[in-house]
Amino acid sequence: MLTNIKLAWRNIWRNKRRTLITVASIFFGVLLSAYMTSMQEGSYSKMVEIVVKFYSGYMQVHHEDYWENKSINNSFDYDQALVDRLKSHSEVDFVIPRLESFGLASSGELTRGAAVFGIVPDIETQLTGIAEKIVSGKYLQANDDGVVIGDGLAKFLNLNLNDTLVILTQGYHGVSSAGKFPVHGIIKHVSPELNKSIIYMELKTCQSFLGAENKLTSLVVNVADNDAMKRTLKKLKSEIQSPFSVMSWEEMQPEVVQQIESDRAGGVIMKAILYIVIAFGIFGTIMMMIAERRREFGVMISIGMQKKKLAVILFIETLFIGLLGILSGMAVSLPLLLIQAKNPIPLTGETAKLMEDFGFEPYMFFSTAPEVFWQQAISVFVLTVLIGIYPIIASLRIKEIKALHGT
Amino acid sequence: MVFLIALSASAQDIKEIIRKSDEKFRGTSSTGSFSMTIERPTWSRTISMKSWALGTEYSLIYVTAPAKEKGQVFLKRQNEMWNWVPSIERMVKIPPSMMMQSWMGSDFTNDDLVRESSIVKDYTHKLLGEETIDNYLCYKVELIPLENAPVVWGKVLMWVSKKDYLWLKAEFYDEDGILVNTEILSDVKKMDDRVIPCRMEMIPADKKGQKTIMIFENTDFDVPLKEDFFSIQNMKKIK
Repeated sequence: MLTNIKLAWRNIWRNKRRTLITVASIFFGVLLSAYMTSMQEGSYSKMVEIVVKFYSGYMQVHHEDYWENKSINNSFDYDQALVDRLKSHSEVDFVIPRLESFGLASSGELTRGAAVFGIVPDIETQLTGIAEKIVSGKYLQANDDGVVIGDGLAKFLNLNLNDTLVILTQGYHGVSSAGKFPVHGIIKHVSPELNKSIIYMELKTCQSFLGAENKLTSLVVNVADNDAMKRTLKKLKSEIQSPFSVMSWEEMQPEVVQQIESDRAGGVIMKAILYIVIAFGIFGTIMMMIAERRREFGVMISIGMQKKKLAVILFIETLFIGLLGILSGMAVSLPLLLIQAKNPIPLTGETAKLMEDFGFEPYMFFSTAPEVFWQQAISVFVLTVLIGIYPIIASLRIKEIKALHGT
Repeated sequence: MVFLIALSASAQDIKEIIRKSDEKFRGTSSTGSFSMTIERPTWSRTISMKSWALGTEYSLIYVTAPAKEKGQVFLKRQNEMWNWVPSIERMVKIPPSMMMQSWMGSDFTNDDLVRESSIVKDYTHKLLGEETIDNYLCYKVELIPLENAPVVWGKVLMWVSKKDYLWLKAEFYDEDGILVNTEILSDVKKMDDRVIPCRMEMIPADKKGQKTIMIFENTDFDVPLKEDFFSIQNMKKIK
């Protein structure tokens, strides 16, 4: 066997140019598909990150009716025992209490719909890091009576620091809530959508404003990553009982999951086309190689080489070429994508605007998740093995006389 | 022949009955206090208010409780509506787009408060029969709106007592003949110079477990009130 491998290795380097062309076609195939996958996966994980990190967290506990009817009337009393129970799971990093509502934000003659978030300032920023996103003024303090608002909202309402923001809404059990709040800080929120509508308020201030003392609409339960979430979610689902319910971000934002899945399906088609092109490229060179070496095979078989042995050697040659292509492709795409992941490509013009409208940062992001690489490696390897069948069949069907005559 | 005369006479009488029962509530002017209880499947809350009214055109409502909403004033002039919110010192004119929204979280819409239609002038009336409600023998009357009437209903059924012409129940149907709201009036008492029901329940048909109850605590009719009382300036001063 070792002799076979040695022979195969020598054989492929007998015609360097032919081998290099084949290797190059595999190399570019791997590089392209890895690049494309990385870009796709990168944008998906960015989407997830925006949803998870800047808004919903990985999981949330609500009153069981809240998600169907997001009314403040479906809020629940803050319950330390519940929080402690959630925290008792080793995967759970932290639990964030929130009171969310909607209202009209107004200043002078200008009015706009806004999302009002009652938050505990120092805990909230652990997840969203909003304290670092303040562009002017300062972040909320404990017992703050003011608000921090999105930069887009501030611009729309013509509000500066320490101006008064009027909020009009319906509070707990339909009580009409109207109040004046000084703007203590302006934040540049990562999500352009929230940037245009967010009002952060200290939880206690928000509760008394909405007449919902000690009430919460959601408890954000945060874990390290998606895998930890899947494990914890199972446990929490069986543990959290009526009147509470626990939801993962995937359940809360099914449209994000669907968007990713449909986009991924589109990517699969693109990759399939790419692989077909690569496969025919390899197949073409292999066929050419067999045709070129027909006479050589004829001679070898005539002087006693077994056809079976010849087939094995040819198969190993194909594998070598495939492996060389895959390895060189990996060797180049890995560092390239690592660099790209650190430096996402900024988008400009209409595309950028469109992306901002959808709530995303206008950048092309790259993923360096391991599957980006091994998926390509495996697919190309499988292709090479399939193509490797051709030389086997071809060599077994050689007629020595015809081969020697070169017909 | 006699029968025909009797029938046409009764059509006239029915209009008269409806007019009389309508006038009971409206009077020329009134002031009073009432409470509104909003009932929902899991909670309920009560708001207390004072009211002033002149004809059907003008009314003013001042919220006295709960503390969080105390001081809010609603003014209705013809078909326009304003809301004074003292905590933000804002006068809000209710825009047409908000007319169909709930008034103070109740089952009444803003439109219910300003609506100009008259159950006497804007409908044709037909006697359907007699039924007993709360021991009162009542006329059951079907009201179909006239073509040009500013009415959102397709049909209204009303029950008016034979004695005292008390409006005791009404059912409001949409244009497809589907029940939308039911109003039930009860607790008949002497209020100032007349006998009227003091409790009104409004039950939306499509929302289970929901209703709004208004209880009139005391009302004085035919009080001296002038049009200029119902002004935006006065909204800010009234107590």
